[in-house]
This record gives sequence, C-alpha cells and structure tokens, in this order.
Amino acid sequence: SSHEHKLNFKKSKEVCLNYIQDAMLQKQWKRAAEFLTFYIESLEKDFSTAYMGPSEMIWRIGTEILCHHSHSSMKQFNSFIEQMKTLGVKRYLKVCLEHAFHLLCNGLIDEAYQNLSLAESWRFGEQTTIQDKEMKLIQAYRGLLDYYSWSKQKNILLEHGQNGFEDLSVEQEMHSCFRKAAVNLKEIIKIPGVWDLFVKCYVDLLEFYGDHNEACQVLNEYAYNSKFPANPNAHVYLYQFLKRHGESKKSLISALKILHDIVPSHELMIDFNTMLQKSKKRKKRQLGLEVIFAALDYAGWKENVKAWSCLARQVKQIVISEKHLDWIKQEWNSRKDWWPAFHFSRYLAKRNWQENESLSYEKALVAGILLGKDGKYFKYVSHQGCKAQVKRFRILKKFVNKHNPAYLRISG
Amino acid sequence: MEFPAVLFPSYFSAGPPREEGGPGPAAGWGEYGQVLEAGPRRRQAETTFVPRRGGTGESWEPADAAVVPFLPPNASCWIPSLVPQDILYHGVLRRKLQAGKSGAALDFTKQLGHFFVDHPEDAFGSLGQLLHKNFYLGNSKLRRQARDNTIRMTALMEEIGRLEARRGCPRQHLAPRLRWFSHLCRDWLFEVPLGLLADCVHEELLLQWAGLLFDDSSTGGALAWLPPKDVGARMGRLAYPGGQAMNHLYFQDVVLEELPRARGSPAQFELNGRIRQVAAARADGEDFVGVRSDYHCGVWRVPGRTGAAPTPLQVIRTSVPASCLTVSPHLPGELSVCTQSGTVYLWSVERGLQRLRHDPQTMFFRDHSPWRWSDFTAHPRVLSCADRTGLQCLDARAPEKCHFDLFKVGEEAGCQQGERVVLPMYLGRAHPSQHLVTTQFSVYVLDERLPLVPVLKWAHMMKAPPLFAHLTPGGPERSHKVLLGTSHTQELLLLQYQVLNDQFLACPSTGGSQSACQLAGPPQKLHSIAGCLQHLPVQLPHCHRMLQQRLGTPAAGLAAALQEDGPRESLLVFQLSEAGDIFCQRLTHEAAQPPALTSGDEAIPQPSPAVPSPAAALRYRRWLKALSEGCGEPPRHAYPATLSQKRLFTRKELATPVGPSTLHGQLRQQLQQTMREGGCIQRWDPLASQPCTPPQPLELAGDPDPLSVRLTAAWSGDWGQWWEERTSFNMAQRQRALRERRRRQKRARGRRSLSASFTSSLTYQSELSELSDMAPTSLSPGPPAVLPREGSPPAGVPPASPLPDEALLSSQSLRCRGIPKERRKTLRDYLAVWADDPPEPLELPSSQASQLCIPSSQSQLSSASQPRRKRPRMGF
Repeated sequence: SSHEHKLNFKKSKEVCLNYIQDAMLQKQWKRAAEFLTFYIESLEKDFSTAYMGPSEMIWRIGTEILCHHSHSSMKQFNSFIEQMKTLGVKRYLKVCLEHAFHLLCNGLIDEAYQNLSLAESWRFGEQTTIQDKEMKLIQAYRGLLDYYSWSKQKNILLEHGQNGFEDLSVEQEMHSCFRKAAVNLKEIIKIPGVWDLFVKCYVDLLEFYGDHNEACQVLNEYAYNSKFPANPNAHVYLYQFLKRHGESKKSLISALKILHDIVPSHELMIDFNTMLQKSKKRKKRQLGLEVIFAALDYAGWKENVKAWSCLARQVKQIVISEKHLDWIKQEWNSRKDWWPAFHFSRYLAKRNWQENESLSYEKALVAGILLGKDGKYFKYVSHQGCKAQVKRFRILKKFVNKHNPAYLRISG
Repeated sequence: MEFPAVLFPSYFSAGPPREEGGPGPAAGWGEYGQVLEAGPRRRQAETTFVPRRGGTGESWEPADAAVVPFLPPNASCWIPSLVPQDILYHGVLRRKLQAGKSGAALDFTKQLGHFFVDHPEDAFGSLGQLLHKNFYLGNSKLRRQARDNTIRMTALMEEIGRLEARRGCPRQHLAPRLRWFSHLCRDWLFEVPLGLLADCVHEELLLQWAGLLFDDSSTGGALAWLPPKDVGARMGRLAYPGGQAMNHLYFQDVVLEELPRARGSPAQFELNGRIRQVAAARADGEDFVGVRSDYHCGVWRVPGRTGAAPTPLQVIRTSVPASCLTVSPHLPGELSVCTQSGTVYLWSVERGLQRLRHDPQTMFFRDHSPWRWSDFTAHPRVLSCADRTGLQCLDARAPEKCHFDLFKVGEEAGCQQGERVVLPMYLGRAHPSQHLVTTQFSVYVLDERLPLVPVLKWAHMMKAPPLFAHLTPGGPERSHKVLLGTSHTQELLLLQYQVLNDQFLACPSTGGSQSACQLAGPPQKLHSIAGCLQHLPVQLPHCHRMLQQRLGTPAAGLAAALQEDGPRESLLVFQLSEAGDIFCQRLTHEAAQPPALTSGDEAIPQPSPAVPSPAAALRYRRWLKALSEGCGEPPRHAYPATLSQKRLFTRKELATPVGPSTLHGQLRQQLQQTMREGGCIQRWDPLASQPCTPPQPLELAGDPDPLSVRLTAAWSGDWGQWWEERTSFNMAQRQRALRERRRRQKRARGRRSLSASFTSSLTYQSELSELSDMAPTSLSPGPPAVLPREGSPPAGVPPASPLPDEALLSSQSLRCRGIPKERRKTLRDYLAVWADDPPEPLELPSSQASQLCIPSSQSQLSSASQPRRKRPRMGF
C-alpha cells in the first residue's frame, strides 16, 4: 500500500542519513559523499509535500564534505553552493552568508564582497525575524569589507602624502568606502549583541574623520546600554579611547572601576592598580590594594609575577610607613582561611622556587608579612634563597623579621 | 589569562527560547558560524579571516579496530538491566494503543500479571486459603453433595490457557465465563485492593520508564584517571567501581604502554551503596577523589608518589539522594555536593559542610527535575550551581548576596525550546575561566567573564544526552580535547577547541592579544564498547546473545590519559560500563604535521585498522574466558535444578544391567524399525500390549510419623484442620497412639522421612482434586487422605493426568536397577522438580532406563530460555 511504501521510504532515508553521519564522524569523506548522492537521489523521488527540511541537511552535509574532501576545489564548492541557494528559499540568506565566510577564510575577499552585495539585494516576500537578522549581518560584513578597503586606501594615501603628491581618485574612492562602511556598521551596532569587530572599525572610521563625540557616544552606548551583554571588551575599548584622547585620570579610573566591578580578573587591573597607587588620595590607594588582592584571588593569576610584585610593593610600603595596616587587615580577613592553602603551601613554595625565582621572592615577601616569619612559604623560600646566597633573599629575611609586629597586628 | 581582544560577533536578546522543534539531524555540519579577522596587527598585508567553526584540528587516529578490554570482566552475577521491551506493549496491542496517541504504551497488565503469578501468597493469600476448598480443579464431574459449596474451575483454567495461546490474535474476545468471573470477584479476591495495587504498579512503571528514557543518576561518570605526578611518567591510577552491586571502590595502578596494563592488585574499599560517580582533581600536588552514591559521599586522598595507598578522609550522609559531587582543583580537601532537594553545600574536610543554597525550585523557569549540579570556578570561593534551566555562580562567602547568572536556557544563548542542561563542567585545566555546558542538543563553552553569551556553541548531534565529559588540555598553541559520552547509546565523541594566542606571552599586561575560542576540526566518533562484539571469537547463539547484552549495557563513566612519547602522543580513552567492565582504546597523534590554512589533515585519512592486533585479540580471548568462568554461568536458582547424575549414583549403579530387559529390547527394536521406515512413533505400543507392571506401593507400615502428617497438612494448606484434629483427640487415645508410634519409629528409624510431603509437590494436581472431593468432616486419626500414594489413587477418582514419571519412579523399577532405597527418594525429589510443568510429548520420557536422568543438552537448552516462572497454586 502507499502508506507502507511511504513508511519504507522514510525508513530508508533515515538509514541512509545515519550512514552519512557515521562516515562523516569517522572522517571518511569519500564514503559520505557517495552516500550523499544516494540521499539526494532518494529526495528526487520524494513527492511528499512536507516542509523541505532535507534541503538544509544536504546543504550542511555537502558543505562539510566539500570542506574536507581531498579532491574538492573552490569551483566545485561554488557551484554546489549556487545550487543550494536555489533549493531552499528560507535558508537563502544563511547559505549566502556561510558562502561568504568560506570565501573569506580562503582569502577570496573580492568574491566574498560580490556575494554579499548580491545577497543584500535579495527580496522574497515578508521577511522573518531570522531573515532580518541574517540580512543585517550580511550588511554588516559588507560594511566590514568596505572598511578594510577604506583602510587600504587610507594607507596608500598616507604613503602618497609622505611622498608629497595627492591622488584625488583614491581619495574619492576612500570616502565612498567610508560612507558605505559607516552606514552598515552603524546599523548593526544599534542592535543588542557582541559587535567588538564592528564597533572597533566604526570607531576607527569616526576617529579618522575627527568625529570624536560620535565615537565616544558609540562606545558609551556599547558599554553601558543594559540591553547589551556585560562585555568586558566594551569597557576596554572605552578606556582605550579615553586614554588615546588624553582624558583625565579621573575618567580613566572611573572607566576601569566599572571594569573591575564586572571582571575583577581582567588583565587591565594591573594598570588600574599602578594608576591607583600613584594617586595621592588615600581612598584610591586603598582601592588599589583591594583591586590587586581581588585579582590574585583568581586561579589564572596564581603565577603572575607582575601582580605579585604590585602587591608586594604596596604591602611593603604600608608596612614601612606603618600607616593603614588596617587596609591589609581588612583584605586579609576574608582571605586568611583559604589563601594560605591556595597560595602559600609548602608544595607551592617548592615549585615556585624551582620554576620561577622572582615569583617566589615576591610571594615570599607577601607571605612573610601576612603569615609571619614562621609561615611555611616564607620559611622555605627564604631558607632556600639564603642557601643559594642570593642577596635579595637575605634582605627579605631581615625585612620580615624586623616587621614581624606588623604581622601580629594584621592577624590579630 | 587575558580576555580575547575581539570576540566573534553575535546577536544578544533575552527571554525564553524561540526556536522550536529541536535541531535537525545534521545541524552541526557545514557552518562557520562567524568569522573574525585573524591578525589585527597585520594591517599592511591582505586581511585573513578565521572561522568560529571549521578550522584545522589535530588529527587523532584510532590505533585499533575496536575497544579492548582493559581489566578482566567484573566478577559478579550480572543482572541484565531493564530494557523497554520488558515494560512496553508490543505486538498488535501496541499498534492498537498507539493508533490514537503517540508515545509509549506501558504494559501494565503484564506487570500485574507477573505479580500475581510470582507472589500469589501476597496477592491472594487469605482468600485463597479460605476458598481453596470451594474450588475444584479436577476433570471429573462434581458429586452432588459437593456441588453445593464447590465450583469446578477446570473450564475457567482452560479458557485462560486458550487466552494465552491466542495472545496477539486480533479477533480475540474475552470469554464470557472469564468476564463473569472477574466481574464477580474483582472487588474482594485481592489481598491488596486492586485499584490501590494498580496505582502503585503504574507509578513504579512510570518511574522505571522515566529512568529508561533518561537516567541522570550517573551524571559525571564513575571513572576517574589520576595522571602521573611527573609529566612523562608512565604510571597513573584509575579509580573505578566494581563488584556485584558496584559498591566496591578500586584504585588500580596502570602502566601506560601500547595497550595499558594494570600493575599489581588494586586497593579496594567496600562502600555502603552503589557508586554513582567518581570525581577527581589534583590540588597542591595530591589527588583527591570524591565518590558519590545515593545517600553517601566520601572523599579519599591519593598521595602523589606511586605505590602509596589511598586514604579515606571523610564520609557524609544525606537524607535525600545526592546528585552531584565535584572536587576542587584549587584547595585540597574541598568538594561541592548537591542533593535532589535543591541544596548546594561546600564541603571542606577540615571545616565540614557549609550550605550555600537551598531552593527546591529551579532557577530560571519551572522544571520538574530535582537534579542539581555544582562545580568550581576560577575563584576558589565562587561555585557554579546548575539545574536543568541554567547555571549561576555564587560566592561562598556571601551566597545570598553575591551571585550572577552564567548560563540560561533561553534566547541569550540561542537555545531551542525544550533544551535542558545535562552536564556542566569546569574547564579550569584548559583555561581558568571557561566552563563547558552540555544539553541534549548542543555543547557550549562559556567564559565567566562574559556571562550568558556562549563563546562557543555547537550542535553535537548525539542520539542521547551526553552525561559524561572529559577534558584533556592541550599546551600552548595546541587544541584542547573534550570527550563527550552518553550512557545508553554508548556514543563517544571527540571535540577539539582552541584559544590561540597571536603572540604567546606569559605576562598579560604587555598587550599580547588572545584570540577568541574556536572549534577546531570536525568532531570525531570513537569506538563504543558494543562495537568490539564483531571482533570477538564466534560464540554459540545463546552465549552470543548474552555477550551482546553484556557489551551493550549502558556506559557508566569515561576517562582519558595522555601519553607523551617524544613526538608521538597517544590518548588512551577508558570506558566503564554499568556491568562494571572497563574497556580502553588508543588514539595516536603525529605532532609533526604542519597546520595548513584550510583543513588539510584529511589528505590521507588513515582508516582505523579493520582487524584487531594480535595483542588485542589475545585480550579478547582472555576476557571471554574469564567471563565464562567467572560469571558466564547463569544464576542457578532461576532454572530448574540440574544435578549431575554422577553425584546421585555411583558408577556401578549407573552401569546398565548386563542383560537388557525385554521391554528395553523391544523398544529399541521398534525405534530402529520406525527410523528405518522414516515414520514416527506416536504411541509406545509395547506399553499397551504389555502393560507396565503396577508400581509396588511404598512400604508404608502403618501411620506416618506425626511430623510428616503435620508437614503434609501444612503443605496442602490444612494446617488449621490438623491442629483441631490434634486438640480434639482424647488424651488416652493420643497416648496410645503415641506409644504405638514410638514403637514403630524405633523399628523403622531411618527408613522413612519426609518423602511423602515432598512427593506431594509432584502430584498436586491430583491432590487438589482429591481435596475438593473430600468431605471436610472426615477427621480420621489415621493417615491423612491427602497423602498421595503412588500407584494407588483413591478409589472413585480416576488417575488425574497420570504423570509419566510415575512409572519410572516406582520402587520396583528403581529397585530393579539396583538403586538403594534411600537414594530412590532423592531421585524422586529430583524428578519432581521437573514434573512441575505439564509434560509435553517431546519431553515425555519413555520407561527406558537410560533416560532416568535428564540429558545435559536439555538443561543447556532451558538455561538459554527465559527463567521459568513459579506456577501459582491457583491459576488465576
């Protein structure tokens, strides 16, 4: 009966698909390609009116096979994709976008640009939200490519400028590139998302044409709009922008303060700490201590010499001046139950000493002040250091012994 | 570790997931996702782009044709796990039931039927006792006076038998008699009210079915690899469960070679429950191993030096099953525990338990699953907590106030409707702030510093949700390898992802830029345990089936060890099955391949070898041998007792008599003749022509002893009557009887025992018929009438289904074979077990003496079939 026939047909299709998947997962691309031709054949005889899910499957599987198959060429790939574009209306934009990605990854930037422009002009009835998003992405990537050609022309122009002659046509082209890029890039960065690449390019364009206000506004929007995800890069870009334009320390610090609040382990925290340490205000110096302590809480910073030396320097300063020992005490209170095991165990002392002497020196200084001269870490490292007759370790030992009362005040 | 300078573009929107229907069957293929400019510094040259997916990965090729057993099979009488066929309708009925609605149809009546048949005492005990006198199961007509309070059940039984035979027949109708009977006694016959019982059975079935569909108790896996302390050393340790109930924890030293080898005997600990999860992490140079069973969690410390014994540190008990146990990679002796009541604890060996959260509700939207998970993050005081709806991070110092959402099943991560978190894992060994989250559809890599937006997402296309994951971090400029494993389908997938540094710099502040996370190379399927079946030596069909079942048991854990041997690296992947067997496979990587821009590693895809290496083949053989020796024998109790005849009789006794009997000769002659003619023997004619000599009655001298009477009464359910009988005796009579009995006992000591009560099981059919015929008033002090006497059925009752063995069992035939009297009883008992089933013509033994014992081939046959169920005394 026809029902049974349909069932069998469906079943054999599924089996075929399983074979394809199996072959692909074992990197047997040739085998997978053979099965795929059977699968396509089976579809030709499929008169079912169901939604054409298989067209997407064929596109995905075919692309994957062609990407890995040893005998495939770019020409073959392009013709396959062109066929796929006509096969499924719903996925047309997606296929175009992926095609452009493939071309870009293979260095065919002009072809990719053409492809994107072509896709941009595509119209088919009412657009779904997904298609709308895909269209925006296509435009954005085209804008990005426009930006790259703008930047190329800019470089040419700058070179020519150095040589002392002007080229009007290049300049005009550059401006038109700017306009095309700016329009599209501006469009996408309004929509909530992660647009690091596009924002950077757009800001670069604006900065070149001197529109600093607009650039600043774009960066502020990207960093502070609550509809956007909490992207640390947004704050980093803003900070870098402010720094480039010589903004005041205060605004730099406030930008980094926010970054510290969302990502205490960001690598810029070292800059932040140095900036704060230099400050004359007590509050800021205290914040600096807080920042460096917080950064060293993270596993990724465990062996960061720079961070440890920042902490060691500040702690040393405080101990020598004997003012603000309460700052250290305050920070230490929430850490004294786990930092010794996390940072200052005997095992780590041994390893740090073997692997990185300067790290062990900085850490030993901090350990000596926080845990006293009898702490495992300090004891081991200073002993080894003295044994190896390294001068700074002897000085370190003296320093810690002299300031042992500070330890008592911190721990007490 | 610095944050990537530029992230891949992506949309971000909040809210519930919009995409419906789950991903398509090939959703993971053929997509680059997004592209990013490769080197931001190199402006002058042509810009190059890198894709989010589809980059080049390392090539890891399987070194063998299939998985190889790593350890001998787990020595235990292994009980096959539940399969859908056990609890689902199949056949016509299923199709009928499914015609209307989709989904599985639970075979609820079959389970109820099993219960009635297997536990008749619990199902019908008291009413059965009360009514059994009123039910007659014989074939003969009821006597007039008995008809008042007795009904004949035989027809009903036949009807039921026919119903069984017609199972699956579309034209089956309930017989009116059955309908009438069930209508009549549905309300009162059952010990437990039928409605209540049905509710309970149904509830249990639903639970079992849910467990079959998705069992999350083994999330995380019960296998852990403790790598060698020094890089490059060849000796590591494997921690795994074993034993009959998987309640033994083993620590086995493993030497990494071509095929890994166990060294010495493992350290062993017996625990209080089935081990669900074994988690391990290294902190401060020592390995800490956490072990989770349903109500207990324990932690062991394994010192780094080889040969040092693991020491148990602490055990906690939970009142609700624990669903997660993870070990801190930062601080020694810290773990996190979650229970199904929604509580998350930070467990420190020194400071005890600290409750971080208690919330029976799920975090982001309502989901019924009580499963909870928790893991560590880059900050040693911050833990991630997960349920099926997402992940949150909480600060242990102020869990109420300080928390943030790390992952949400929703539009934020581009999830599908119905998508649920299956397994989160902290990827700290690859990158301190990255986490892996798997759902039934996709895998995500998340960065704590950019919550909610996955830095990597890929549809994994696995047939079941991945419950196990293992990370093998790659060094700088290398990809990190993630293995994903499923339980029931035993799938194993190798993924690679990388975080490439443009300039690898140790110090983050100097501006070395790190690129975003990329998926590298196509995913790769590894061998499953069941796949090695075809490489095993050919087996007998029933052994093959058993092996197939054993190898097809769901996976229970996953671990991998990286072995570096100069430029040649290999990855050893260990897999644990729920039966407790451990298998391994090796993947090799040649490091000397220069990475091409487009994936070029497929140039010569080295196909995995088609046949196992000799070393592997040897392991297969050894494993099979150990399996058949250790636990290949099916459990005895499930089958009719098969005893070797050698234990029953001496050789002399078994020797055929010098001159075969005439009957023997005749039969042989007839058999030969029929064989020559190619005919068939329908009836043993000689039996008719020369009737078997009536078996001589047992020498029952006088009354049986009181114990036998009592036991016989108890056996037949008349114990109450027996008691009345005894108490109603007058004293003198009793004394007289007693004295007489004693005298008799002295005379016949050792001659008779409980044989009568045992033989009654042989003939309970006839016994029942006798029972129903007997007037309840007959209280004769003599030998109870129920005691069957072989060969001499009570008068008036025609021999009900004469048992074929009776002729064999007659004392005469036994005596003529020279079998001593005391052994005859044993033989009778022995055969009685077999006589439980109504004899089929095929099994009907002739009176030929050589067939006294069941041929061994028959026991083989029956051992392969389903275990025989106990027959109920009353068959409804």
